[in-house]
Amino acid sequence: MESRRYSIEEASSSCGINCEMIIHFVEEDWVKPINHQEMMLDDEDIARIRLINTLLDELEIDEEAVPVILHLIDEIHHLRFLLGMRDRN
Amino acid sequence: MIKLVFEEVSIKDPYAVLGVSKDAAQEDIKKAYRKLAKKFHPDLNPGNQEAEKKFKEVSHAFDLIGTPENRGKFDRGETEEPHTGRPGGYYYQSQDPGGRYTHSFGEDFADEDFFEQLFGRSRAGRTGYRASMDMPGADETYQMEVDFIEAALGAEKEVTFPNGKKLKINIPGGIENGQKLRLKGQGGPGQRAGPPGDAYVEIKVASHGQFQRQGKDIETEVPVSFLDAVTGGEIEVPTLEGRVLLKIPAGSSSGNKFRIKGKGAGTGERRGDLLAKLKVIVPKNPDPGLLQAVEKLKQQYSFDPRRPA
Repeated sequence: MESRRYSIEEASSSCGINCEMIIHFVEEDWVKPINHQEMMLDDEDIARIRLINTLLDELEIDEEAVPVILHLIDEIHHLRFLLGMRDRN
Repeated sequence: MIKLVFEEVSIKDPYAVLGVSKDAAQEDIKKAYRKLAKKFHPDLNPGNQEAEKKFKEVSHAFDLIGTPENRGKFDRGETEEPHTGRPGGYYYQSQDPGGRYTHSFGEDFADEDFFEQLFGRSRAGRTGYRASMDMPGADETYQMEVDFIEAALGAEKEVTFPNGKKLKINIPGGIENGQKLRLKGQGGPGQRAGPPGDAYVEIKVASHGQFQRQGKDIETEVPVSFLDAVTGGEIEVPTLEGRVLLKIPAGSSSGNKFRIKGKGAGTGERRGDLLAKLKVIVPKNPDPGLLQAVEKLKQQYSFDPRRPA
């Protein structure tokens, strides 16, 4: 059992989003590949690519708003994580 | 024709769901969808099941009438296939509870004072969340391929972790491709007194030559002779647990589907059905006697499927 890694090309065919777009997401620092040096992605990166594509393509959100939304989503997840830890302790 | 019914999304009037009139312009339907999707998208409401349910309804409605082509079909009452969800799931599922991006945010932005205040912790005696919680171990995700029939009916499997530890896990019947099983406390070790993280095993359901999963239902193609298709009769249908007899009516065609209750994936009351899809077969080298008999029938009875009576 191993957590899977995907190349940009594999991610592109799995999400139906072209490679240039995925590279653009990485360059903007919206997606931080698990292995940046070899540009290999994991399932979390793929899920984030799909999310960004939904924001831009389906909900037609302006590119300028994407980092703001991602920041807020990350903050919600961080708070949820802390709450979960508090409940565990 | 059999209608497939999925549990999650009931079919409602898509115009009512999107809050538009039946004669609304296509652009207004799109606008209404976008407005509702921005409000209810599960990634903008992580963990809120009510919002997720609402979003499924909205996106199902948009699937039905979001393009002129689909809308025309819906208005003529030709829509049959219900919405089956989106591929790949949602982003929040990859971060729940605590993924790489979540932890990275925590490292870059977490302000201990702010979170102490938020969670009402006393600052006396250094009980900041980092100190008091002693950093739990990281969650780890693995993938495991499961046989088609084991995934449908359930099984007990032994898994070996990278550190050599072996563990028996119970695969519940009806598990779907991509679903994750949580193994509490089997992830990375915690720091200091922090609890270990959890291990998540993502299930990859292997494909099967004869059966295909459709949620809890299982579809299989059943070849039937053209003579049986005309007259109807009993045919043998393969199921996950051997063959059963199915009665088909006279005048059955290729593509007709018949539902056999309780022979799908899952267990107990939550078990799905088997959908037997007929494929009418004509012998490749018909016997001369058969050819003669059919020639005779052709003269006696005419039937042109391209010109229905």
